[in-house]
Amino acid sequence: MTINTLKREMSSGYKSWILLTGFILFYITYLMLGALVFSTIERPVEDTLKTDIKALKEEFLNQSCVNATSLDNFLERVLQANKYGISVLPNSSASSNWDLASSLFFANTLVTTVGYGHTTPLSDTGKAFSIFYALVGVPFTMLVLTACVQRLMHLVTYGPIGVCRRRMGLDPRTATAVHFAVLLLLVVLGFFVVPAVVFSQIEDTWSFLDAVYFCFISLCTIGLGDYVPGEQPSQRFRALYKISVMVYLFLGLMMMYLVLRSFHRMADLHGLTAFFQLPHCDEDAEDREPIVKAGSEDQNENDLNASAKPLDPTSKSSYNAIQR
Amino acid sequence: MACHALSLFHIPSILILGVLYMAYVLIGGVIFWKLEGGLVRQDIARLLEKKNQLLNTYSCLNQEGLDALVIQDSSKVGLSLKGNQTMDSFWKFTSSAVFAATVVTTIGYGNMSPSTMAGQIFCVFFALFGIPLNMVVLNRVGKYMLKKTNHRLTRFMVHLLSYVSGVALFFVMPMMVFKQHEGWTYSQAIYYCFISLSTIGFGDYVAGMYSNPEQSYPDWYSVLMASWIFFGLAWLALVINHTIDILERVNIYLKHWWSPKEPDTESGEEIKDPPVDV
Repeated sequence: MTINTLKREMSSGYKSWILLTGFILFYITYLMLGALVFSTIERPVEDTLKTDIKALKEEFLNQSCVNATSLDNFLERVLQANKYGISVLPNSSASSNWDLASSLFFANTLVTTVGYGHTTPLSDTGKAFSIFYALVGVPFTMLVLTACVQRLMHLVTYGPIGVCRRRMGLDPRTATAVHFAVLLLLVVLGFFVVPAVVFSQIEDTWSFLDAVYFCFISLCTIGLGDYVPGEQPSQRFRALYKISVMVYLFLGLMMMYLVLRSFHRMADLHGLTAFFQLPHCDEDAEDREPIVKAGSEDQNENDLNASAKPLDPTSKSSYNAIQR
Repeated sequence: MACHALSLFHIPSILILGVLYMAYVLIGGVIFWKLEGGLVRQDIARLLEKKNQLLNTYSCLNQEGLDALVIQDSSKVGLSLKGNQTMDSFWKFTSSAVFAATVVTTIGYGNMSPSTMAGQIFCVFFALFGIPLNMVVLNRVGKYMLKKTNHRLTRFMVHLLSYVSGVALFFVMPMMVFKQHEGWTYSQAIYYCFISLSTIGFGDYVAGMYSNPEQSYPDWYSVLMASWIFFGLAWLALVINHTIDILERVNIYLKHWWSPKEPDTESGEEIKDPPVDV
């Protein structure tokens, strides 16, 4: 008996090693391929811009009496300031990057780890404060989001799936798949397409595609910062706008977690997680029963058991998915 | 009954959490406003002064010409307008790889970002598959790191050890390396380490991006940086899990203290869903 278990353990140990190496190799390859594609697409554009700018500078120096060094010094300071969002162009408004609404917006991007970078703390005190603020704020945000998602799951996932099953008599796998497809469609429409339309209307320089790109980059918390709403100097109702964007970001993040969790559950039921040796959505095998059980009284209670997992680590993005 | 007691106690918990969260963000906003607002005004004033100085000294300069030159995008693509120096292209392979890594880990510095539509569309799809992949890989690596340390030592020692060794390995050592090779101060380096590993990734400081034109980087530099980010993130996942572990224990302890007669049927619960129909 013990030899068999030992063998099983060893073989599963091997399998797990191989799987891990496989994952890592695939990950590296994925990165390389991405790098290749990015390089191929962007490099020519960059080269063109380079030559254009050089020509512009040459032309400028030829026309004027400014000497190269003082121009260079000036430009260095200006570009440095530009990185921090300070512009000396005439149409830049008097509004600061650090008025109350913008600071709120900044604090929000800090704790959700989006981190656009269009404004960053300049002072040492500000930097130190950012670190401590984020040390507490980031886990706290995750906590809040997870708590919200756990409750939402009842409303949005377990409930409808149960209804699906009872009314239409679908088996659990199909029910979850159908539900997930519908959920995905609604989230894409409601949190990508519609906001993108709104953004492209409000922001003059953004096309619809730019707005979709912005929504995606923000809701994944990548937050490149190449597009940031509310930065136009002529923006009306700027404070209100920034605050609504904050709310949108928070809700959108919540929905992303929800979709992720639903997907995880669906993958669980379809045996994908077992195949890749990934942690299951819920630890007990019985938790899958609620969808299988026909009794409606047990339904909610078992749903409760299924979902009353303490901050299920697998439900959070990026950090904890370590099964205990 | 137990259910009612639980529900009375726990129904507002999400509200409390929500209120706390909003308060936290608000307070942070106010503090940043106070800290940063004054400094920015100074900077703007100084810069305008310089600009006026330049315009006055060189009378042949006209306003529009100068403004046209101060193109906001040029710093984005990393063009150096200093003298005849040509900086290496931003989008050469190694830096593109770093960019791909920052997208997939959701750090997203933003000092480089795709400016073509094709690049942006590709970025979206790349992230769509890359981020889950990244999560899965980090999860497995973290699990491994956990497994290795779980045998003989007690839980507490595991936590302590992982915290301390991780801080040394992923903050203190990189801080030294960055100070050496990037010419940053210690505080800037630590700030950068934190902002990167938390995946916030402002991009005001980015290692390996020639922040100082005189710096030259050894060949192993980008490889070192990439592995630091990867293992640092995996370590952070470990730490956060340990922290949650601790928080759960504290929570159970508090619950026992709060209502000691409560039969603790489901151990390890923290945020409970209200045990009533939603």
